[in-house]
Amino acid sequence: MTMASRKAKFVAAGTIGIALLIAGCTPGTAKPTPSDQSSATGGEVSTAVPSDPVTLTLAFTDNPEMTDALAAAFHEKYPQVTIETQFTQFADYVKSLRLSMSSDSAPDIAQYNAALKDLSAAGLVVDLTDYENAYGWDTKFPKSALDMLRVDETGKILGTGSLIAVPGGLSLVGLYYNKDLMEQAGISAPPTSVDELTVDLEKAKAAGITGLSLGGLDYGSLHAWAGLMNSMTNTSDWRDWINGKGGADIVTADAIAATTLFADWAKKGYFPESANGTTEADSAVAFAKGDGLFLVDGNWDAAAIGETMGDNVGFTVFPPNSNSNKAVGTGFSVSYMISSKSENQAAAAAFLDFLSSPEAAVIESNGGFLPPNAKAAPPATGIQADLKAANETIVSDDGLTPFPDFAAPAMLDSLTSGLQQVVAGRMEPKEFLESLQKVWTAYHGG
Amino acid sequence: MAADADGVVQGRRDETPTRVSSRRPGAARRVRRPRWIGFAYLAPAGTLYLLFVLVPGMHTLWLSLFRWDGVTVGTWAGVDNYRAVAENPLLRGAVVHAFVLVVFFSGFSIAVGLLMAAILGRHRRRGMTFYRVVFFLPQVVPMVAVGITWRWMYTENGAVNQILRAVGLDSITQAWLGNFTLALPAVGLIGTWALSGLCFVLFLSGAQKIDNSLYEAARMDGAGAVREFFAVTLPALRGEIAVALTITVVAALASFDIVYVTTNGSPGNTTTVPGLLVYRLAFTDGQVGVASALAVTLTALIVTIVLFIQRLTRETK
Repeated sequence: MTMASRKAKFVAAGTIGIALLIAGCTPGTAKPTPSDQSSATGGEVSTAVPSDPVTLTLAFTDNPEMTDALAAAFHEKYPQVTIETQFTQFADYVKSLRLSMSSDSAPDIAQYNAALKDLSAAGLVVDLTDYENAYGWDTKFPKSALDMLRVDETGKILGTGSLIAVPGGLSLVGLYYNKDLMEQAGISAPPTSVDELTVDLEKAKAAGITGLSLGGLDYGSLHAWAGLMNSMTNTSDWRDWINGKGGADIVTADAIAATTLFADWAKKGYFPESANGTTEADSAVAFAKGDGLFLVDGNWDAAAIGETMGDNVGFTVFPPNSNSNKAVGTGFSVSYMISSKSENQAAAAAFLDFLSSPEAAVIESNGGFLPPNAKAAPPATGIQADLKAANETIVSDDGLTPFPDFAAPAMLDSLTSGLQQVVAGRMEPKEFLESLQKVWTAYHGG
Repeated sequence: MAADADGVVQGRRDETPTRVSSRRPGAARRVRRPRWIGFAYLAPAGTLYLLFVLVPGMHTLWLSLFRWDGVTVGTWAGVDNYRAVAENPLLRGAVVHAFVLVVFFSGFSIAVGLLMAAILGRHRRRGMTFYRVVFFLPQVVPMVAVGITWRWMYTENGAVNQILRAVGLDSITQAWLGNFTLALPAVGLIGTWALSGLCFVLFLSGAQKIDNSLYEAARMDGAGAVREFFAVTLPALRGEIAVALTITVVAALASFDIVYVTTNGSPGNTTTVPGLLVYRLAFTDGQVGVASALAVTLTALIVTIVLFIQRLTRETK
């Protein structure tokens, strides 16, 4: 065979291969037609737990102990329903769940994450609105926590539209403080306003104490900056921006002021010098070891910090702006959704309802989360009591805001790298906010 | 003397084929075997290559022509994704960072590997296997474990700063991965650490094949250790250097794991690399089409550079 003809054959084979691929269908799953979705669109749903024995699978990534305990407690209450839990570590959870939810072996129940909101647009998760009405979830769960789990029909805008998940435990970011160091710096009580917080940071600096333990290598700066945004900007505008409501803009005078204050704190040396090279988890460890007067962090680290520091640590809501008494805090929930491919949706919905029960509240509280049914939570002491009080304040002020990275899928990376530059004084506050707005517009449109 | 030895080898090489073929009576018939038999031998490897390299590669190429979020139905995008890749300023920075990593992954690793091979390869020593194992060890450890360990070592109170403090260099200690200028070199040095051992083992095996008489000749001509290295060892290792260069350049340009676990592009996008952006686009940003386009572009870039290296280091006959 000559070289040329061999080459020709090879090219022909390649062309056939490509042609075969092109003949294959367009990537992705088509949204099922309404007739495919037997339940949840009819309007009438049952709140009765089916009496036949069924096994549900539950895919999740947070708190294995708490999840297993919830599954076991539900089985105890309804012995005919068995829940098998499937754990995936967080780094792989979102991408593996996207694949499994669109496969034929989708789990019945799956832990929700804002990165999975578009599953509803693909028709892969059940619209829970009918169950919400049937079970009366609006009175069983805090409103702000449920609203965060609503998504519009495009799968892009949060806070409005169908309910797609139900919370099992609420999270809240607030201010941890070291009581010994407060005394050393001559501070009598935890700050109740942003101005007081700034004064306290200056006092700490004068006493040679790190003001705020900050882990900017990943998400630490984000929590502290979001705290200032919560307190210093209009809450509903801020929420609209995070939720992706049309026309929202983050480049406002208030937001510039909040970001400028954050940059000033960095410039004045209130953060450790190594902030940009430290992870959020490491900054919590440093704080627990006594390096840092304050730490802006979530309830998820409370158990570990409390264990190390005992009575020396306190937790409070991030202080509101001086001219406001309203407490606003960043938080979300460990929440669960139901696959539209599940054959046991009624049993799965009964499990979601169970999350607001008094039995579940004890388990959720022990898992380090704030139970949606706050009244049923067991009495707490120390840091857990502080958390409970902070949560009650936020819920009664309706002040829960979602994590700002929910605004767009690419937002987390932009927030992280942008805040690193703000902390290092390499980016102006306005420039930073404009870069965020650019990412927002690329996703939501102008 | 060297020329003589070469001549002997050459003569033998010329002789062998004729002698063997003339002694085999079946040789002539074997030529007439059906041609498909060759393809049958190729089939096992070919099938694997087709299924796990060509088909996924073609699939990526195909996906790069769509706007697709990974879940809902995609729409045809044509070359739009490639245009987006070309216009993305973040990406241009990432390519520059990847080339900086080439200096650390390839340049430094090969230099260190050559130096160690030159020191250890000149004489037969006891415990050579021990050295080989020790230096090769970084290759055996998964890159993710390497990355996490180094991330700890680079923290404010990590091993790197502890050592610096121990020798009185307190003034330069810092959280290395938080420094806008030094984070990228810090990541690069992890690559140097991981790949030097591979280069060393490669060069050592190459150096052991060098005829001792060449060293004797060089020594008779009065060459010292340095001269010997440049006149004998280095030219003889040309092939091994080409292999090392190819492997390490690909490792640098296609790097993902080390960067992902150490800095994830921090601080302020100063350590982003194309592989990291492919991952982000596909799995967090829901832009599978653009991610595929970037992956295809990156592959084309790497293939071009590897071909260039092959050409550059090809033995001149």
